[in-house]
Amino acid sequence: MPELSYREAVRDAIATAMREDQDVFIMGEDIAEMGGSMGVTHGLVDEFGHERVRNTPISEMALAGAAIGAALQGMRPIAEIMYEDFMTLAAEQVVNQAAKHRYMSGGQLKVPVVFRTQGGAGWSPGAQHAQQLEAWFVHIPGLKVVFPSTPEDVRGLLWSSIYDDNPVVFFEHRTLYGIKGSVPEKIEPIPIGKARVHREGEDVTVIATGRLVHESLKAAEEAEKEGISVEVVDPRTLQPLDEETLVASVKKTNRAVVAHEAVTRMGFGAEVASVLQYQAFDWLDAPIERVGARFTPLPFAPVMEAFVVPHAETVLEAIHRTVDRQS
Amino acid sequence: MATEVKLPRLGQGMESGTIVKWLKSEGDPVEKGEALYELDTDKVTQEVEAEASGVLLKIAVPEGEVEVGKTIGFIGSEGEAVSAPADEAKPKAEEKPREQAPKPVAEPAEPAPATDGSTNGRIKASPLARRIARERGIELSQVRGTGPDGRIVAVDVTSVGKPGEAEPEIRPAAVESRPLSNVRKTIARRLTQAWTVPAFQLTVNVDMTRANELVQGQRELNPEVRITVTDVLTKVCAQGLMRHRDMNVQYADDALLVFPSADVGIAVAAPQGLVVPVVHGAERLTIAQIAAVRADLVGRARDAKLRTGDLEGGTFTISNLGMYDVDQFIAVLNPPQASILAVGSTRDQVVPVDGELHVLPVMTMTLTCDHRAVDGATGAEFLRTITSFLEDPGLAL
Repeated sequence: MPELSYREAVRDAIATAMREDQDVFIMGEDIAEMGGSMGVTHGLVDEFGHERVRNTPISEMALAGAAIGAALQGMRPIAEIMYEDFMTLAAEQVVNQAAKHRYMSGGQLKVPVVFRTQGGAGWSPGAQHAQQLEAWFVHIPGLKVVFPSTPEDVRGLLWSSIYDDNPVVFFEHRTLYGIKGSVPEKIEPIPIGKARVHREGEDVTVIATGRLVHESLKAAEEAEKEGISVEVVDPRTLQPLDEETLVASVKKTNRAVVAHEAVTRMGFGAEVASVLQYQAFDWLDAPIERVGARFTPLPFAPVMEAFVVPHAETVLEAIHRTVDRQS
Repeated sequence: MATEVKLPRLGQGMESGTIVKWLKSEGDPVEKGEALYELDTDKVTQEVEAEASGVLLKIAVPEGEVEVGKTIGFIGSEGEAVSAPADEAKPKAEEKPREQAPKPVAEPAEPAPATDGSTNGRIKASPLARRIARERGIELSQVRGTGPDGRIVAVDVTSVGKPGEAEPEIRPAAVESRPLSNVRKTIARRLTQAWTVPAFQLTVNVDMTRANELVQGQRELNPEVRITVTDVLTKVCAQGLMRHRDMNVQYADDALLVFPSADVGIAVAAPQGLVVPVVHGAERLTIAQIAAVRADLVGRARDAKLRTGDLEGGTFTISNLGMYDVDQFIAVLNPPQASILAVGSTRDQVVPVDGELHVLPVMTMTLTCDHRAVDGATGAEFLRTITSFLEDPGLAL
């Protein structure tokens, strides 16, 4: 199996879809010659030209609206929103338009658009260029929300998102672009709404998204040295949510930690915790632990940033609390 | 500044104690010297007094085992804020609301007697533990919780009763599993330890005529305290130990410890189990003084109010089951002590004296000795001495 970086995997999904399907195109700020601020679309303009790799004015609302219009007309556009933080500027189009048209038209309209965006701490981007706002969009009926954590997942899920007839908000994590992983020779679509069990365990389930999947896997390794067997599950798709897999895992382990980089308060983990407490109530042997960033804008200073966002140690501490016993 | 209430070290070797319950609630006024909480160490359950006056601001550890020196509460002035001690604060995700609703002052002042895993009658158990208990017909009140804050977790329930095939119905009269108290654990540990000691026993019969007369005489002289045979035995043994210093010893692996005074332990059947409070320096006390000390110790033992010092330093033990009409028995050593005297009841027996049959009050007593420290002849000489003291108390003077 070939090995791709997360960044290359995103690019491969876009390029392959554009090669095979004239309806697929991408638009965004500085995505053509510059290749996007994160280099994801590097080289695409050379292969597909400016007609299909379109630089837009610096207006997220305009580019999101244009993508929605194209989608309504039968195209399968990919709109790159440079930073997740700027999704707030596109929110009117995404939330009030894209999410609503299929419902309001009684199913006569389809909105097969993908809003690709990225965010995440770990490189001192400061308070305005690293937020993790996935929970905002999970809250909107009519949107699908995807947040992959590995090269294989990001490629297979982006493919499925492009070919989904509904608007998909597709979150990538800035610090994952460089990680490498093996991917299938040919793109294998990964169904939206299917979680991935990264590691099986017996004592506690950690349900993590994005960067925290990797931090949780590190924590699980540490825990194993202490004799605690940790299962790590990545929902990959936040909406729709694979409740079945999450609940089954917690029914097996009886304990759960939810972990993401976004702040804990009203974070996606709160929804997962609620699903678990309701569907696995009689299987829970400890309160569900939540791991997330501290409730503050992200500081610029690296040491302060590291203090605010969760890491493997934070997850490990939460694991410890779930299995805590009095001597 | 609020005063931290820290778990005291109440005796040598004490590393931790178990808080049984608080005798004051948060918000209650507290006077220095007033009993504040009940503490279970591996030796005793005792009330611990407040070391400061003020208001009990916060109970940091409501119950359960705590290391010596750890902060378990705060006493200060009304309304003063206290912060959880650093070693208490568990790491928590910041966003988690730390709900510590201030208690209304008019809370019921009497805390319900706390049992393990429950607070104010509410049993803390995880949903999984509750489900398993429901399915297996296990009473959660019978289960000791080992989770955080004494919460009953699944393993606490699954370890109750027999594992394996789930019987559709479990009779309520099934074997009751009582958690071991610290006292019971200590008894088990120390007597198992005693069983590894090579020991021998020596038994003698004693004519108790004069000793009984002595008890009667002493009672008339000292009406304020009820003098018993045990008090006379304590005095006699103390005198005997002083004359036979080789008996007042302990085996200590590389040395034999010879003690300067006779600190005589008296085995007491307290409600929580066997305890052995010590009459220190019994050789220097009169029988009446011994009786007073003994009565105080036994009374506090029965009320579970012994202090650690009451139980330490014994060099010899008397175990008297005479009041239970036991003729004779063999006591198990009370380590690290080298000997223990098992005393039976005094009964009238026909005894030949100078060729004639006499009916005499006879008591049988059996001395158990640690053979590593004491030889048979040494024990026999000691027994002969205390027998002669009992049969002719004047010799003990």
